[in-house]
Amino acid sequence: MTWAVEATGLRKTYPAKDGEVEAVRGVDLHVRTGEVFGFLGPNGAGKSTTVRMLTTLLTITGGTASVAGVDVAKDPDGVRRKIGVALQEAGLDPRQTGRELLTLQARLFGNSTAEAKDIAQVQLELVDLVEAGDHRVKGYSGGMKRRLDLASALVHEPEVLFLDEPTTGLDPASRLTIWDEVRRINGHGTTVFLTTQYLEEADQLCDRLAIIDGGRIVLEGTPADLKADLRRRKGLTADPTLDDVFLDATGRTRTKVAGEVAEVQA
Amino acid sequence: MKDTLVLTQRALREALRTPEAVIPTLFIPLFFLVVNVGQAGKIFPGSSTAFLHGQGYAGFQLPSSLLLGASFGSAAMFLVEDIEGGYFDRLRAAPISRIALVLSRLLAESVKALVLTSAMVAISLLFGVRIASGIGGFLLILLLNGSWAVVYAGFMQLIALRTRSGAATQSGGLVFFPLLFLTPSFVPRDMLTRPMEIAASCNPVTYIMEGLRTLVLGDVDWGSVGLAFAVVGGLGVVMLFLNVRMIRSYD
Ligand SMILES: Nc1ncnc2c1ncn2[C@@H]1O[C@H](COP(=O)(O)OP(=O)(O)OP(=O)(O)O)[C@@H](O)[C@H]1O
Ligand SMILES: [Mg+2]
Repeated sequence: MTWAVEATGLRKTYPAKDGEVEAVRGVDLHVRTGEVFGFLGPNGAGKSTTVRMLTTLLTITGGTASVAGVDVAKDPDGVRRKIGVALQEAGLDPRQTGRELLTLQARLFGNSTAEAKDIAQVQLELVDLVEAGDHRVKGYSGGMKRRLDLASALVHEPEVLFLDEPTTGLDPASRLTIWDEVRRINGHGTTVFLTTQYLEEADQLCDRLAIIDGGRIVLEGTPADLKADLRRRKGLTADPTLDDVFLDATGRTRTKVAGEVAEVQA
Repeated sequence: MKDTLVLTQRALREALRTPEAVIPTLFIPLFFLVVNVGQAGKIFPGSSTAFLHGQGYAGFQLPSSLLLGASFGSAAMFLVEDIEGGYFDRLRAAPISRIALVLSRLLAESVKALVLTSAMVAISLLFGVRIASGIGGFLLILLLNGSWAVVYAGFMQLIALRTRSGAATQSGGLVFFPLLFLTPSFVPRDMLTRPMEIAASCNPVTYIMEGLRTLVLGDVDWGSVGLAFAVVGGLGVVMLFLNVRMIRSYD
């Protein structure tokens, strides 16, 4: 089978003042077509770096990656045609209206002006921005910007959608809207590769997930399996939460975290 | 090519929506034109100054102001905003030629320069300047100044792509001081002091200014015009090459 995302030994080093920063150190990934795959990790773990490599925005230092069966390094334009990208920093132009932005985006993916206008209208309806569509993006709220950013990642009906922390900084209602949207998109067969800081989000949305820490994958599986596994290993009487799985996998136990906080307070 | 045009349109729309960035590029050069003519106009009366070919001093000063108007490099500042705001990544993730990403802003800059140059020439006609080379000469002036705008914006864009910082790009823009003032901007080159003449002769802008000037003042020296186009063409090719190389290796 072809994987929606496949990576072997993926590495990225950034040049730094004192030598190099190894942000990603040999990551292997196998994301199945049609699933929602969660990519979790603490701050600075290498999530965004991995996403940026997979989406052709960052050169790959070592290893190989392919998305929707296309090699990222050898045929970046081929990959770009098949993927949608909404990065951690929403990629919007404040001086355009939402409608103009979507129309432009659709034009860049090969549509005629008339087609692009239709696509923009459809997308505005889907993310509930029809009224705001003719206002400049500058005046949008955080939630509206996120929704518009998501819509502009979808104008060409991508096979694989990459979302880097799509709900960070959103209020609970806006977060739920994005979740619904992710489920809808995935329901149409689009594979979703999603990074998040929120364990509940991963629990709700993801079929499978991987936890990355210090540039390496430390755990991988379905949320249910990961919880059951921890329960068995620790001999717990009740199922642990995904929080517990995350803390355990990244070597940060609750007591340790609590201890650190106590130290800070002292 | 279609992508380049779509992105050029967007860049022009952006310019129309930021009049506060565009209007100074008309008024600052006009201000310099008026001030410089006011300061030196009496020293060089049109009737008795050979290098004016019978025109007033404003005709001699117009090319400096046209070049100044084409040397704001606002394209680069908008590019930095795209980079800092993340929109540049969205564009980079689209299956479009990397060349379109850099070329579109340069094309938009040339369109802006054409409008600006036309406006400035029109205004200077009201002050008695004549374009002695006629309509054909006017078109050459547009082409020359528009091309210079592309060269300058191309240079600024290189700084923007390398530093990705608004402050650094703005500082890079300071090269326009030596470029525009180490030139024969007040008198012809052969009337400059020796060190100034050497500096001016090393400055490519000098040749563009002299080309523009001969088209304005009359008795067109086609050698100067040809040299001006050769200089701006050569620089244009270099800037385009460097921009394409920079965007290809952008990480
Ligand atoms: N452009 C860069 N230059 C140098 N180092 C970088 C660069 N970008 C990221 N890094 C470093 O690489 C490591 C991984 O960063 P990355 O942004 O991929 O983490 P992340 O998992 O997305 O974190 P977060 O949850 O905070 O978004 C960090 O140590 C970071 O400091
Ligand atoms: Mg990140």
